[in-house]
Amino acid sequence: MSGVRLDTLVKTFGTTEAVRGVSLDIADGEFVVLVGPSGCGKTTTLNIIAGLESPTSGDVYIGADRVTDWEPRDRNLGMVFQSLALFPHLTVFDNIAFPLRLRQVPGAAIGERVRAVAATVKVSHLLDKKPSTLSGGEAQRVALARTIVVQPAVFLMDEPLSSLDAKLRVDMRTELKRLHASLGATFIYVTHDQAEAMTMADRIVVMHQGRVQQVGPPLAVYGDPANRFVAGFFGVPAMNFIDGELHGGGEALIFESPAVRLELKDGGPLPSGPVTLGVRPEHVRLTRDASAGRATVSLLEPLGDETLVFLEYGGAGSLVAKVDAEEPLAVGDRRGFTFRRDRIVFFDTATGERILRG
Amino acid sequence: MSRRRGRHLFAAFRHAVLLGWTLVVLFPIGWMVMTSFKDAGDWVSWPARWVPFVDFEPTLLNYRQIFHFGDTGALRREQTEQAYNIWKAAFDSVVVVTIASVASLLLGSTLAYAISRFRTGGKNYPYTILTIRMLPPIVVAIPMLIYFASLPEAFAWLIGRRVEFFDTYHGLTLLYIVTTLPYVIWMMLAFIDEVPRELEHAARLMGASRLATIRQVVFPLVASGMAVTLLFVFILNWSEFLLALTLSQPKVLTLPVLLNKFQSAVEGRLYGPQAAIGTVVTIPVVVLGFLIQKHLVKGFSFGMIRR
Repeated sequence: MSGVRLDTLVKTFGTTEAVRGVSLDIADGEFVVLVGPSGCGKTTTLNIIAGLESPTSGDVYIGADRVTDWEPRDRNLGMVFQSLALFPHLTVFDNIAFPLRLRQVPGAAIGERVRAVAATVKVSHLLDKKPSTLSGGEAQRVALARTIVVQPAVFLMDEPLSSLDAKLRVDMRTELKRLHASLGATFIYVTHDQAEAMTMADRIVVMHQGRVQQVGPPLAVYGDPANRFVAGFFGVPAMNFIDGELHGGGEALIFESPAVRLELKDGGPLPSGPVTLGVRPEHVRLTRDASAGRATVSLLEPLGDETLVFLEYGGAGSLVAKVDAEEPLAVGDRRGFTFRRDRIVFFDTATGERILRG
Repeated sequence: MSRRRGRHLFAAFRHAVLLGWTLVVLFPIGWMVMTSFKDAGDWVSWPARWVPFVDFEPTLLNYRQIFHFGDTGALRREQTEQAYNIWKAAFDSVVVVTIASVASLLLGSTLAYAISRFRTGGKNYPYTILTIRMLPPIVVAIPMLIYFASLPEAFAWLIGRRVEFFDTYHGLTLLYIVTTLPYVIWMMLAFIDEVPRELEHAARLMGASRLATIRQVVFPLVASGMAVTLLFVFILNWSEFLLALTLSQPKVLTLPVLLNKFQSAVEGRLYGPQAAIGTVVTIPVVVLGFLIQKHLVKGFSFGMIRR
């Protein structure tokens, strides 16, 4: 079938290493999202899969075939580009028919297939128009139709939603996911938007500086980040980080920083020394007593259902807590705070790597 | 108030200067057109005859003579055909210039594509090409003459048959292709650079070969640029004189070379027929010039491609 396997891909441009040894196994029919900040190597990786770039070293397999040296057109891929890349000189019909004509599908069949696929993505009424007259969402659908029409085994998408406005982007997310379910093809989707990654992916591949940082289902990547970069990349607002030290050992382990002191009752095999504690805003609790530390409310950002509370706790920056909107709070209030102990994570302050608890 | 008046005065002054300059530029052309309608006695008369129907009686005699129709005056028709071989020259010009311009356009566009997409020849290559074009034609003409003289020998040695280049259609056509290629490359490079690469990537992923991509995506998108370039190169070749004079006559004779030939031993310079031919040769240049202006607007405004 048509899974995709990447074997230690390396790509250098001059002296810059864009991709530094990426290995990945993507199952047939899986929806995988490559996510990371710009310049992390995700688009280069996608272009190597497409055959638009050749890797400096490493191999690409599609299904059982080693396709590293194959021409893009021989790989049975469909790709949707960031710019959509609709041909401006052709009508919508001719744009969708373009790949069929290249495959020398007979004329009558072309019309039939174009109309069928146009109906699936709801662009039937636009077939005679030129791309420059379409709205962002319409152009998006046409680009999808043009890719779907030849039924490729693997779909590659390079930030296809980035040109749409916020509301449309959310709608298209749902539609893409639905499309993936109905086509049953393998989707490899590149984005810098963590929300797109979280909402659509079966598995997320987080990339940074040309390397894969973590691979896993969205909730695992969110709740169980492999390192400080992944932890900070997902979540709005971002995870709180507090530098400190771990003392003790065995049954009574204590995290201590100038402003925070937290007893970890369950203990576990953790090294003593400088560590960084990570806790997401939704796992910060406000209390009456000083359980982990005390802080002053400096700013409130109501989101409607919940409220973001910025706390001056005596450490670097603010501690952000996400609390129920009903919570009676005002700027200047003094409160105690603590963290949900089962949801805090620790990182090695020097390397940023996660310190796993046994 | 005074500032406004100053501005008006300046505008008037500017227009006066431009108008004066226009007269200076157009005068020789006007004079040529006027002379082409004058009888032999009026060509060089002094004081000059300025106003048609008042100073002189306009006549089509010069045109009748060069195109050999109707009453050809003092010359018998066979004589005019011998003297002003315009039909033959027009044929030669049209054939050579058309083939050379189209060939140069196709070749140059493909080369420009290679330079744009693969950086063929390195970063400074386009500028090198432009520099080549700055050589005065005479510098090219003499070495080419040497090649044209020696190539037949080379062919004789290689394939056992002499292939002539001097004074042949293919010889002059080749020359014109080679000399206009730098223009085509330089102009088309600007257009092709504007075509987003993602369009080509998309076409290639959908199954198009590199050539099919160029033919079905790139060239249609730069079509109006190609039209402008073709017209431009056509005008260059149409008015080329020196190479045609040095390397290709009398058998293959283009209009500019023909234009140069009107010095009859018996009658002195034949200003009238020469002016008539000059006028005829200029008309296509003017028409194409207007077409270029119209196309240029289209050519440079295809930035509406969705990015």
